[in-house]
Amino acid sequence: MRMRLAMVLSIAILISSYATRALAHGEAADEPFLKDLTVAYYDVHVTPTQVKVGDPVTITGSVKILETWPYTLDPPQTAYITPVVPGPCFALTERLINGESSPGSIFVDKGGIYQFKMVMLARNPGHWHVHPGIAIQGTGTLLGPGEWVTVDPSGQPFKLDVTLLNGKTVDLEHFGGAFVWWWSLAGFIIGLIWMLYWTVPKRTVTRLAVTMQLPVNDDAPDIGLITPRDHMWMDLLAGITVLMLIVGWVYMAAKYPVRLPQQTVRFAPDPISPGDGLIAVHPKGSTFDEKTDTLVINFQVKNNGASPVSLKQYIMAMTTFVDGDKQEMAAAGPSEYVGQLAVDPDGPIAPGASRDITLKMTNEVFLQERLIPLHDPQQLIAGLLRFQDAQGKENLVTLKSVLVPTEFQPQYLP
Amino acid sequence: MASTPATMAPAERQRRLELRELLNAKYQFIDRTWDAVFWITAIFIVAGAADITKLLFAGDWDFWTDWKDPQWWPVVTAFATIIIPSALQWIQWVAWRFPTGATYTCTCLFLATWIGRYFQWHIAETYPMNFVWPISTVPAAIILDWLLMRTRSFVVTSLFGGAIWAIMVWSFNYIPLAPFLQPVPFMHHIMTVSDVQGIAYIRSQTPEYLRHIERGALRSFLGETQYVSLLFGGTMAMIGYWVGQAIGRFLAVWPIGRYIKTL
Ligand SMILES: [Cu+2]
Repeated sequence: MRMRLAMVLSIAILISSYATRALAHGEAADEPFLKDLTVAYYDVHVTPTQVKVGDPVTITGSVKILETWPYTLDPPQTAYITPVVPGPCFALTERLINGESSPGSIFVDKGGIYQFKMVMLARNPGHWHVHPGIAIQGTGTLLGPGEWVTVDPSGQPFKLDVTLLNGKTVDLEHFGGAFVWWWSLAGFIIGLIWMLYWTVPKRTVTRLAVTMQLPVNDDAPDIGLITPRDHMWMDLLAGITVLMLIVGWVYMAAKYPVRLPQQTVRFAPDPISPGDGLIAVHPKGSTFDEKTDTLVINFQVKNNGASPVSLKQYIMAMTTFVDGDKQEMAAAGPSEYVGQLAVDPDGPIAPGASRDITLKMTNEVFLQERLIPLHDPQQLIAGLLRFQDAQGKENLVTLKSVLVPTEFQPQYLP
Repeated sequence: MASTPATMAPAERQRRLELRELLNAKYQFIDRTWDAVFWITAIFIVAGAADITKLLFAGDWDFWTDWKDPQWWPVVTAFATIIIPSALQWIQWVAWRFPTGATYTCTCLFLATWIGRYFQWHIAETYPMNFVWPISTVPAAIILDWLLMRTRSFVVTSLFGGAIWAIMVWSFNYIPLAPFLQPVPFMHHIMTVSDVQGIAYIRSQTPEYLRHIERGALRSFLGETQYVSLLFGGTMAMIGYWVGQAIGRFLAVWPIGRYIKTL
């Protein structure tokens, strides 16, 4: 008995220790391959981070759909770039993708780069974690890095004013809502009268004794099941219902003479170049040490371009690792998702030169965001190498590597 | 069945007179309390059944204003919402000769969905009510019950009722939807107020492409998708009516009968 109790307890503790890790961030629920091999976010900024209700907050950044898109998922075709926030605590008012206004979904391709700018108005007071996200049809919403935004009350209720084509300005927080309620309620009341008419003066359950002895299509006015009086009242209620519908329709047609079908706005954004493509990389494996949270990636690089280039960043899923100072790290994105990158050997790669490079990153974010496949059927990671030459010209190169953990952890559950 | 006592055989007339007395008999144990218990407890079961059926077949269509489109909304909701009213029509007509099954289901569903939308989606999730309001099927249900009462035939009710159902459900809810279909310039495009609601009130896990709204195609019939959809919605509602009849006849009452027999 005691043995069994101990077992149940230890299992409970084990499960809860897994659960706390998953609860820290909802996004950690996605499997590592789903984050690493699909898309990579960079240069993401959410500003400002302290606002009042009604103030704008802007999310900017870029997301690249990687060439390493897993074959286990449907190929990316239709996507929707959206803020990922807990419910409508912000109201989106503008979205630009590659410079073009895009209210709806977009057509995307493997390898495509999508630069976004989304403006939202703070709606609900609170402390919210704001991410950009790209929902891809057949796959789901893939998250970018998040930033905490504090929304303070402004003393006034939130309003979302839009100006209709006819020049009238309406507040979407309330527009049309009262009519929906009173109109629906009026119909409900007729239904309620109908129900009360049958159930209150008449008896219900005991009618079964009579109906059982009659054919189904016999309403027996002589016996008193449904009487001509019932018919009269029901005709009246049905008539009122039809009349209400006709009056409502005439009112609607007169008050809102111009009505449009819902719109679909879809387009393929103008392509953005990842660079001149003159840098070739070849993976040479990677390792991850769970005890020290350290990711090491080895690869060979050849500079086929005309000017020397330096490796500035390694970008994986929603994280960016920077070979640079504090300022460069702050520019790379929300601090929780930005880490230090050690490049060995460091320094510019001359035109025509080849070099074996080792990247080293030590960061808690790997386990927190569950970015590293440690117990998965696809032991692969992928990310973007961001090279820059002296003129600031950039090259984004995708690198996919096999990941072999330094050791596998023992486990109790399968 | 024409039940004019004058043309009946004396024995049949006598039997019906006895039934009349039986209808008005006073029962010692089965009193009105039982009627109240039945009608009130069934509210939750019937509302639940109707809501689950609607969610199963109509999903988001009856959820957001930007999903209430001219092409799919009239078809999908007409089919999804007639099933349980039809089942209840059969049960309440056969058991008590009450033309109330559809109205009862739809008034229960009305209460349940408004409570759900208000507390769960408006208060807890903070979506504006004007974006997540539920449709009302009560007026369509009144006409469906009226048809059954007048025709005393499930076949006739399904044929005419299905078509009327599709038209009534759509038109009754199109009236409050109309203000949300007004054109508004937004993000450098012209769109409806409902589209703007769908974009502004962020649904991170319900991306825009999930909408199965009208997109325009060769089969859009001179651009008059709406009427084609209504016609198709009427046909679908007729089918839905018989799905409901099947539920009422074979799934809902038959097992109860079996159970009573074993007592
Ligand atoms: Cu978050």
